[in-house]
Amino acid sequence: MLTINNLSANVGETQILRDLSLTVKAGEVHAIMGPNGAGKSTLGNVLTGREGFEVTGGTVDFDGKDLLALDTEERAREGIFLAFQYPVEIPGVSNMEFLKAALDAKRAHQGLEEMSSVEFMKLARETCRQVRMDQSFLKRGVNEGFSGGEKKRNEILQMMLLQPRLCILDETDSGLDIDALQSVSDGVNTMRTPERGFIVVTHYQRLLDYIEPDFVHVLAQGRIVKSGTKELARELEAHGYGWLDSEVA
Amino acid sequence: MSEQVESLIRSRKEYAAGFHTSIDSHTLPPGLDEDVVRFISLKKGEPEWMTEWRLKAYRAWLEMKEPNWAKVKYPPVDFQKISYYSAPKSMDDKPQSLDEVDPELLATYEKLGIPLHEQEMLAGVAVDAVFDSVSVVTTFRKKLWEAGVIFCPISEAVHEYPELVQKYLGSVVPQKDNFFAALNSAVFSDGSFVYIPKGVRCPMELSTYFRINEMNTGQFERTLIVAEEGSHVSYLEGCTAPMRDENQLHAAVVELVALDNAEIKYSTVQNWYPGDAEGKGGIYNFVTKRGICHTNAKISWTQVETGSAVTWKYPSCILKGDNSVGEFYSVALTNNYQQADTGTKMIHLGKNTRSTIIAKGISAGHSDSSYRGLVRMNPGAEGARNFTQCDSLLIGDKCGAHTFPYIESRNPSAIVEHEATTSKVSDDQLFLCQQRGLDAEKAVSMIVNGFCREVFRELPMEFAVEAGKLLEVSLEGSVG
Amino acid sequence: MTDFQQQALQLAQQQTAPDWLQDLRAAGAERWSATPWPTRRTEHWKYTPLAPLQKTDFGGWGQAADAADIEWIDAEAPRLVFVNGRFAPALSSAELPAGVVRFADAGADQQAVIQQHLGQIVDSERHLFAALSNAWVEDGVLVHVPQGAQLASTVHIVHISTPEASATTASQRVLIVLEAQASASVVEHFASTEASQNGFVNSLTEVQVAADAEFRHSRVNLEQEDLIHVGGVHVNLGRSARMKGFTLAQGSRLKRIDYQVNHRGEGAELVLNGVYLPRNRQLVDYHTNIEHCVPHGTTSETFRGIIGDSARAVFNGRIHIHPDAQKTLAELSNKNLLTSGKAEVDTKPELEIYADDVRCAHGATVSRLDATALYYLQSRGISQAEAEVMLSFGFINELLREAPEASVQSYLRRRLGWLLGRPEPLARHLEGATS
Repeated sequence: MLTINNLSANVGETQILRDLSLTVKAGEVHAIMGPNGAGKSTLGNVLTGREGFEVTGGTVDFDGKDLLALDTEERAREGIFLAFQYPVEIPGVSNMEFLKAALDAKRAHQGLEEMSSVEFMKLARETCRQVRMDQSFLKRGVNEGFSGGEKKRNEILQMMLLQPRLCILDETDSGLDIDALQSVSDGVNTMRTPERGFIVVTHYQRLLDYIEPDFVHVLAQGRIVKSGTKELARELEAHGYGWLDSEVA
Repeated sequence: MSEQVESLIRSRKEYAAGFHTSIDSHTLPPGLDEDVVRFISLKKGEPEWMTEWRLKAYRAWLEMKEPNWAKVKYPPVDFQKISYYSAPKSMDDKPQSLDEVDPELLATYEKLGIPLHEQEMLAGVAVDAVFDSVSVVTTFRKKLWEAGVIFCPISEAVHEYPELVQKYLGSVVPQKDNFFAALNSAVFSDGSFVYIPKGVRCPMELSTYFRINEMNTGQFERTLIVAEEGSHVSYLEGCTAPMRDENQLHAAVVELVALDNAEIKYSTVQNWYPGDAEGKGGIYNFVTKRGICHTNAKISWTQVETGSAVTWKYPSCILKGDNSVGEFYSVALTNNYQQADTGTKMIHLGKNTRSTIIAKGISAGHSDSSYRGLVRMNPGAEGARNFTQCDSLLIGDKCGAHTFPYIESRNPSAIVEHEATTSKVSDDQLFLCQQRGLDAEKAVSMIVNGFCREVFRELPMEFAVEAGKLLEVSLEGSVG
Repeated sequence: MTDFQQQALQLAQQQTAPDWLQDLRAAGAERWSATPWPTRRTEHWKYTPLAPLQKTDFGGWGQAADAADIEWIDAEAPRLVFVNGRFAPALSSAELPAGVVRFADAGADQQAVIQQHLGQIVDSERHLFAALSNAWVEDGVLVHVPQGAQLASTVHIVHISTPEASATTASQRVLIVLEAQASASVVEHFASTEASQNGFVNSLTEVQVAADAEFRHSRVNLEQEDLIHVGGVHVNLGRSARMKGFTLAQGSRLKRIDYQVNHRGEGAELVLNGVYLPRNRQLVDYHTNIEHCVPHGTTSETFRGIIGDSARAVFNGRIHIHPDAQKTLAELSNKNLLTSGKAEVDTKPELEIYADDVRCAHGATVSRLDATALYYLQSRGISQAEAEVMLSFGFINELLREAPEASVQSYLRRRLGWLLGRPEPLARHLEGATS
């Protein structure tokens, strides 16, 4: 589904990703772990085409399409979803309105008709229940005045509504209490299907207790320095990232 | 600011209302003197007192100076180069019904999305259509008449209800109030008159649609709304003009009288031609709007200002009666080289009077948008309250957004609160929307609409939708 | 030209200033004569009539006098004292920190510094009374701190007005130049002896804060009721310069103070706090104008006022973000309490913004002391008068606490009862409770 080949990227003058390669097949969950500053969030931003993240080398193939040639919104419509580490507030724009616009854009891209408002409302309410969010959140401004946990649940709500094919979760566990972590993970787990791939970026192993990965990769200094199964995550938890220095060198 | 948004705002879609209607008109040659004032009065067949009223205003105007304190720049207006009267020839015979109205005129309004045939109209909205200097038609008059509501061109009201007009005309905005009000008082040609009798809740929305068509003419309409005790009315005005390289002047006066326990809701969707992307052409919109609230009365102004090259406008409330309420909700969007200096005055005279001001300014391109407001608590305004929130949104780094709130308090029991913020469409917000599949254009218009939400929800439903679309059009352009 | 403008020019001719100040004086006089006299239609004087100046016949310059019984803000600190505009050596410290000198005693190097900066920081085209100050400059105080140096101790510059036989004028001029990485703290104190009358003080302070320099400034304006005082503090901030300013005003039937701070170098930080407490028939007018000309500047400005009796307060706080001054953070808050039915406040916070990537906000409120809080205190047995002082104090205490000099804080606390127009015993009681 996703093939990243020798991807290098800069933020400003600084090189963050160096010849990073990674393949994600449909149905797989890949966890990306690593110390702060390793380039974990950069990967998500580069894959979604965020401005300010400059690709300096390599290719990214998404189901046969050259992902890097597409605009951010085109990538989204193709089915790439990024759950933000710090979801941004958009005052005055209701969640409902925002979600409908995003879904309509995606459906138009797929050649489908707009969903009727009634149908959409039903779907939105249902999804709300699934992530254990109060329906009043649908009427509030996008992330406006939401707590940290509410913002993350809102990300999962959007993910469930938009039904992407590749989900990138960027430090989704940061700042979550156990209860919120549980409902966020439940959301993700119900989304795990043979057609869908996941990249779960996290600093801690904690999240992986809830979302069990098929593969774990360690990102350090902009490249994957070690890959393994979920056992690798346990190891990292036990020993920290310090030992990586010797491996990288 | 991301490059996408830059290019997005650089060009805007063609001004949809910018067409010209080819129609034979009687247009007075440019120039202004006492004879012109008399001519207009004569043309309207006005009684002597009305002619004198106009002349008094004209003489006062001669002594006055054009105001220069607003944060707007424009070359001096040559008042002798403007024609002060223009009317379609077909209106000479004063058509008695819609069937007699020139189909060209009806087609013009049709094209603007305002069908004047009652069966085609939005149910529940009565329209007075003003074309250059005359009212073309006023719909639903019969239905309104049955409810006791008077809704007619003001030129007609002068004949039909002289005692009402004489009593209230100039009672809120005196002839000498300011330069443009004096000019309007001298040469106003038409506009709407509304009278809601005691205790009546007007059965439908009233609206006036103003259209400037002729070259080199000014439009000077006058609106007077009188809401008797305990009555209630919601009124909306809209305006458009053809695209022209020359600037055209629009100097209107609106007076509202809300007697005890009455409520007037006045909404404006202003979409005069704003000029082209280089700042050429466009309407100078110099307007005086003011209402007086008697005991327990309420006046609510809502305005969405997206058009005009230069806007100078401060819809105000004099809160004379105890417990009266004034509201001002405003969205002012400027793009390209537009300039808007707009806001309100809330003059608290009575006890426990309350006012709310919510002003949203959006500046894009090379434009300037200013909020200018006055909140005055007079010594008698025991227990009065004001809350003001002014927010500016900047799109791009070539525009300006300004806030000039004047607060004057002379009563210790009055409470005034004013807050102002400024923000931009952040790259983060834009990225979130794009990551969810929205294009930049849609994302910006969505964010801007969200920014304006508090104001839009004050508009009558049908017009809230229209206003939202208007913002989209105003910001629309090619995405680079 | 008005009578007062002419009178002011005649007064200038009576002075004997050194040659090296003559150019500035001439330019000032020219600007002063050419500027139309402000009226109610002049935006910057809309709420502050200058009639008291016009109506007074100023016979001449103030004369030296004794003022020994003044209460100093800090009796130990080195100070320069002027009485009615005349230097008072007997009241001034014999030893001053290096770099502090009167214009009259300035050596050649110091004269060069004065000539380089004096009249250059203030924009006398926009500030009429700065033009007058230029026309009237005769003596003054220079505080000059060279690169990387620290002024040895806080310097107090005191101006005292005393009663005189007829209405007189005084001119007070200060120039502070901090070279790169220098630091200094200056206290300006304007005071009156018991019963002053009819004087007019025109004061102007110019401050140059070069890159990475740090400047702390307090300006306490406490003069008797009859005095007229027009003053200005004009500051240029260089790259990463820091300024912490505090000002408090009471007294005068007409007191107008302008603060103008220009962010000229990137990344400068300004904190400016002010308190005004007019009562009786006083009028205090603060006009502040912060110009962000370059990116990454920070401004935090808070002014609070309590207006009693038949007094009036005027506040105008303008923040101007120039094009390209991106990443500016600027905040202004102005809160007012009216404590009498005859008091009045006119406030206008202004934002003028020409850059999009900035965070700017202002807020203004007018109200009276919170009735619920008053009731709460009274229900605990506190008298109404005392409760009012406590709440008033609470309202301004936050800003007093932020005053850059501890001596200024304790001086103002000592005089709190007097400042809030209450009998002494209340103040003493509060002093202990709140300081």
